[in-house]
Amino acid sequence: MVCIELRQVTFQYERGKRIFENISIKIEKDETTALLGPNGSGKTTLGKLMVGVLRPSKGQVYIFNKDSSKMAISEIGSKIGYLFQNPEKQFFTNSVYEELSFVLRTKKYHEDYIKEKVDKILNTFQLQGLERQAPFLLSQGEKKRLALAAILINKPDYLILDEPTLGLDGRRKEILLDTLSKLKKQGIGMTIISHDDNFVKAIGDRLIGLSRGEIVYDQRT
Amino acid sequence: MTKELKLDPRTKLIIVLCFSTLGVGTNQILVLFFISVLALIVAKLFKVDLKRSLGKIKSLLKVLILIALVQSIFSPGQPLISVGNFNLLTIKGLEKGLQFILRMFIVIVSVTIMGTSTYREIIQGLVQWKLPYDIAFMVALGIRFLPMIREEIQDSLTAIQLRGIDIKNIPLKERINIYSYLFTPILVETLIKAERLAAAIEMRGFRAYDSRTSYLQLKLKSIDYLIIFLSLGLIILIFIKIYT
Ligand SMILES: Nc1ncnc2c1ncn2[C@@H]1O[C@H](COP(=O)(O)OP(=O)(O)OP(=O)(O)O)[C@@H](O)[C@H]1O
Ligand SMILES: [Mg+2]
Repeated sequence: MVCIELRQVTFQYERGKRIFENISIKIEKDETTALLGPNGSGKTTLGKLMVGVLRPSKGQVYIFNKDSSKMAISEIGSKIGYLFQNPEKQFFTNSVYEELSFVLRTKKYHEDYIKEKVDKILNTFQLQGLERQAPFLLSQGEKKRLALAAILINKPDYLILDEPTLGLDGRRKEILLDTLSKLKKQGIGMTIISHDDNFVKAIGDRLIGLSRGEIVYDQRT
Repeated sequence: MTKELKLDPRTKLIIVLCFSTLGVGTNQILVLFFISVLALIVAKLFKVDLKRSLGKIKSLLKVLILIALVQSIFSPGQPLISVGNFNLLTIKGLEKGLQFILRMFIVIVSVTIMGTSTYREIIQGLVQWKLPYDIAFMVALGIRFLPMIREEIQDSLTAIQLRGIDIKNIPLKERINIYSYLFTPILVETLIKAERLAAAIEMRGFRAYDSRTSYLQLKLKSIDYLIIFLSLGLIILIFIKIYT
């Protein structure tokens, strides 16, 4: 099933050069897609276009066969979990516990249910004992894990992860690989933007290489 | 008028100060209106892209209009429109609302006029007015930080919506709650940026010496003097007219 499709997308930043010219991609839901490429090749930009954070100057983006320009960002966000390259951008509260629970609370879930969910996810991402810590004071690797946990607690159908292994140590990378593999088995597809060749090769089914805003290779392993 | 008027930043500063002093210092709608038109003409002379600047602060404009509406609705006085015993709109209220809008308009246009000088020129202007460099630098930094904060707000708004929260379609009370969540990342990110900036300028030896030499030297031309004289003359005239 195609989950995200870019149709002849052209994109240019408000004050900047043209990044993409007439680019078309179909991303399948049931495989893990990896976006690779050197710094500044447009990976983050492409990721943001895929999730509607940036709107194309020309062309359309379809998310689950729906024109994304007609969807509210919150609607996209409840289907697709997006991990920012800089996780600080997605922290809103003063404690790890709050950070994981506040969205559930606005959706009026029962407090006991919330607690159970939060405890479980804290465990998965090895963040136990940090519940009272302020997200902004966490280490780089802990921030990435918290941001990912906060996304997964919303149960998205698809994930776009911008540099998920950045700042993680070897052991934590293995654990992340393990967690992502489990999600994959549960049927949650993902696109991983990364420099980390080993990581990507371990989990990716399809590798897309970007260079200066163009797709230079697109292969399945 | 194809040639752009190039003035010293200090001259612009004086014009802008005159406009805003007048804007704040008078209650008369006619005067306010006159100043608004004058400010518009000056902005046109400086080739300010007003449409673009206004577009950038669209949401702020909405808030301003809302405030004006609230002000004009809840004012006592002679009724213009009334529902039963309740005065919905009074002449005084309408006046108040108009005053507020015109004032804000003057301030906004003034700021965009200042924006036609680069921040380096503004610092130099203030320094040549014998303002200590540190303070001039802080003022300019403040100006530079504003658009950055706007970007932060935009990013955070997107990020919180990506969490699946539909900001536009939730009850007002909860919406205020959500907006309060936005303060944390905006404040923290801005503080982090400020801290980095402070470290960076410290590393480059900011304030290592008391006096600084600068390559850019501003000189007031005769047209500058003429305009300064005219602006000051105008403001004095208007004030005499108002208070006598
Ligand atoms: N907000 C912006 N305004 C203008 N230009 C931008 C903006 N963000 C990125 N760019 C430019 O777009 C190009 C692609 O940037 P992008 O962040 O997508 O690269 P990337 O592949 O993610 O790089 P990295 O590996 O460093 O994360 C770069 O040349 C960058 O300078
Ligand atoms: Mg990137």
